[in-house]
Amino acid sequence: MSMTNILQLLVSGFAMGAIYTLTAKGLFITHLATGKLNFGQGDFLMVGAFLMMGLLLSGLSPLLAVVAVLAAMALLGYLLERVAVRPLERSGDQTGGYAWVLTTAAIALILQNVVELIWGKSAQYSPPLFSSKRDSVIEVFGIGIFAEEAAIIALALVIVVAFYFFLFKTRWGKAVYAVAFNREAAALFGINVRGTIVLVFVVSALLAGVSGTLVGPLVSVNPYMGLVFTIKALAVASIGGFDNPLGILAGGLLFGIAEAFSNYWDSSFGDLYPLLAVLVLLAVKPAGLFGARAADVR
Amino acid sequence: MRTGFLAGVIVGLSIGSAQAEDAVKVGVVQSLNGPPAITDFGDSYLQGIKLALKDYQASGAKTKIELVVYDDEANPQRAVSVVQRLIQNDQSPVVIGTVASGNTLAFAPILQKAEIPLVAGPSIATNITAQFIDQKPSYIFRCSMVEKFQIDAILDWAAKTFEKVGLIHSTTGYGMASKTEIENGMKARGKALVGIEAVAPGVNDLTPQVIKMRDAGAELLLDFHESFELVYRPMARLNYHPRVAGNWGLSSLKVADIVGRDAIEGTVMGQALDLGSPRTKQFDERMRKEYGSEYRWPVVAALGYDAGQIVFKAVDKVGKSDPKAIRDAIESIDGVSAISATPARPFSPTDHECLDKQDVFLGVWKSGDVIRMN
Repeated sequence: MSMTNILQLLVSGFAMGAIYTLTAKGLFITHLATGKLNFGQGDFLMVGAFLMMGLLLSGLSPLLAVVAVLAAMALLGYLLERVAVRPLERSGDQTGGYAWVLTTAAIALILQNVVELIWGKSAQYSPPLFSSKRDSVIEVFGIGIFAEEAAIIALALVIVVAFYFFLFKTRWGKAVYAVAFNREAAALFGINVRGTIVLVFVVSALLAGVSGTLVGPLVSVNPYMGLVFTIKALAVASIGGFDNPLGILAGGLLFGIAEAFSNYWDSSFGDLYPLLAVLVLLAVKPAGLFGARAADVR
Repeated sequence: MRTGFLAGVIVGLSIGSAQAEDAVKVGVVQSLNGPPAITDFGDSYLQGIKLALKDYQASGAKTKIELVVYDDEANPQRAVSVVQRLIQNDQSPVVIGTVASGNTLAFAPILQKAEIPLVAGPSIATNITAQFIDQKPSYIFRCSMVEKFQIDAILDWAAKTFEKVGLIHSTTGYGMASKTEIENGMKARGKALVGIEAVAPGVNDLTPQVIKMRDAGAELLLDFHESFELVYRPMARLNYHPRVAGNWGLSSLKVADIVGRDAIEGTVMGQALDLGSPRTKQFDERMRKEYGSEYRWPVVAALGYDAGQIVFKAVDKVGKSDPKAIRDAIESIDGVSAISATPARPFSPTDHECLDKQDVFLGVWKSGDVIRMN
């Protein structure tokens, strides 16, 4: 296989991998702070994609549309925490500790049906972001990169760096880790635990929303696309080891590249092989490629 | 909104049927929700059937007919379950449908076994009628393009115009059936495909497949994937612009809008309706008046109209809900004044196709319109 083809597949792989990474980071941060995650993360991505498509089709400029979608997603994240996660804390041990799986999945189902009511069940095409036709291609080293793909990769890198900075260099980031370690102790230290938890869910929803706005022009959007993204994001978070943000980046890119190459070698079953590979990997190394086996000193 | 409307139509029709017990329930299964490429077919065919019903009712015929319409959502399991509902709950003596050949192939055996006639359409897989024609009698008819005739026309042209031909197909029933027919057709013409690539359902990015086609040097790309537009997408970034040919789905205005008028220029597909004839023009105007901008696919609507005509005429001849008699009436029907190229006597015990080989020709996109290719 020629170098050009390898590079071309790498680019496609990076772009989708970046989407998976961003989605998985959302799962990571809520799991870190609360031990729970949004089983409808992929559906949040779907809502972001549909909102973006709807706003673009109604003539809004891409920049304003992105801002509007992010605002909506932030609200959705807040509502998720308020409605599907916080009430369960009161019931505590009675619900067995995993009821959040059901409640977040239920929100996902509601979102799917609402989107279906508004836009119908059919698949739709999101307008391209950078030109009126689907041919804004950047030529680099003999391979063509869609402007949207370049944007995704660039943005994903920026967000990952910002995320890292946020988690390890700002007060809020440290608050997240404090709450993760021990909620009561964090509260005693004057950290706003409730605010931190709301924050992580909002950030998670924002990440899904950003992925959604970027992924629209690359794939066709339909109300049921969310589940596959949730599964792939979970797979990516698992490869990366749930606690390691850089690991998730590596995991996401690896998964995306594996997908692109697997489609090249066997187009009939392309999506199967990366997921099989993750299965095998987890059987061999359950903590993922980058998961740290840190002693739990609680 | 459309689902709600359809539910309302079904409820309204059921309430109506409680009073008119002698109305014959003609079952219709179409794909009205799903990928745009498929719903285009379903919507257009149904528009034709509904106009045919309107004309039938206006003609003062004595037998009351009611349409029971179900949406199979382009899903084979759902198609089978709505057909079973038509047989058991609605007691339909005749069924028309559906879009995806995989779905039609899934329920055709059920209808053959239940001895209920099916007029298949707009699905095009050749073996929909071919696999039942030897049964005595066969209950499966079709009023639509036939894939074999399209593929024959395309391959005849491809074999003499191009050295290197590649194929991208989906892994659905339709895609796999097309692949076999194309491979056999090329072999019969003494040529081989330079590349064959499959696409699994749910895969959105065909860059790997198109890279393979480009590397194989394919000058003509046969596009036999239901979502036709996916094949075009990677072409811009790979700077690879082969000629594209596929089935009649490529003549839809919706596909042209998604792909872009520039990208679709020169694409070739099978066609079966000549918009030049006065009768067709009249039909075209009536459809436009009836449906406005929703009407966007003359050839599919025309075939839906003809399927409707044939079924309603046969039901009227029989006068009641008798599937065996209706089947016989359909097979022996005569005097059909069709909009499409369907002849006045389309069927016989050995031919259950509305359209024959000579009625299919090739169309090509030129400056925003599909014209007959010469």
